[in-house]
Amino acid sequence: MDSFNRYLAAGQPYILSIFRVVTALMLFQYGVAKLLKFPTVPMLSEVPPISLFGIAGMFELVFGLLLILGLFSRLAAFILSGEMAFAYFIFHFPQNFIPLLNGGSLAIMLCFCCLYLACAGGGPWSLDAIMRKTD
Amino acid sequence: MTETLAAWTPRVLSLLRIITGLMIIEHGTAKYLGFPVVPALAKVQPLSLPGVGGVLELIGGALLIAGLFTQPVAFILSGEMAIGYFMVHAPRSFYPLLNGGSLAIIYCFACLYLSTAGGGPWSVDAAMKRA
Repeated sequence: MDSFNRYLAAGQPYILSIFRVVTALMLFQYGVAKLLKFPTVPMLSEVPPISLFGIAGMFELVFGLLLILGLFSRLAAFILSGEMAFAYFIFHFPQNFIPLLNGGSLAIMLCFCCLYLACAGGGPWSLDAIMRKTD
Repeated sequence: MTETLAAWTPRVLSLLRIITGLMIIEHGTAKYLGFPVVPALAKVQPLSLPGVGGVLELIGGALLIAGLFTQPVAFILSGEMAIGYFMVHAPRSFYPLLNGGSLAIIYCFACLYLSTAGGGPWSVDAAMKRA
């Protein structure tokens, strides 16, 4: 099993970058659905821009895009992690204590994924890494 | 701030592993132990595809929380979630927002990352390595 573990571990930096892009895409889609109305999700496309949900949408759109590109990954991930914690406690938590019943599993996962990305950074496939190389 | 955050990376990795394990075991317990009561999940047959998924979620989730055999367990769960996404969610719509598969995608990639990074310092794996 050790050789299998080592084989997996060799890909760690690159998988970190892929993990970052996927996490960011999952957040970005909510921002796009809320503010650019695509894809059309009835519950999300009716969100007014100047409201708690609308401002959350702007965060998801702007910082989600930054996180996809890997630009200021740590800062973007830190802010998004906080936003997801807010989303969970304001929107999901009052409905039920158990995440499976309050529908907040995704918010929890995105919160902790972003918290990890804030610590670990964007990995080698990111604008952060490219900018560091050219310095 | 970067130094502070970077210094916490190994411990937050363990935290991410525990949260991912908890979120995954929840689906397994809903299918097999009837807790929490979710009508759609409580009726799952053990010998169906979602039933086999439930066994993986129950056992794999528990191992992931404990941090025992983290890398192979996370690898298996990552594969399970990929199959779950393509069999259940992908046929409904191309967009994860419309097919309800965002959670499966994030489990899949979080587990894929855990399978490469391991369980971090707060895990049975790390405790056994120290011993």
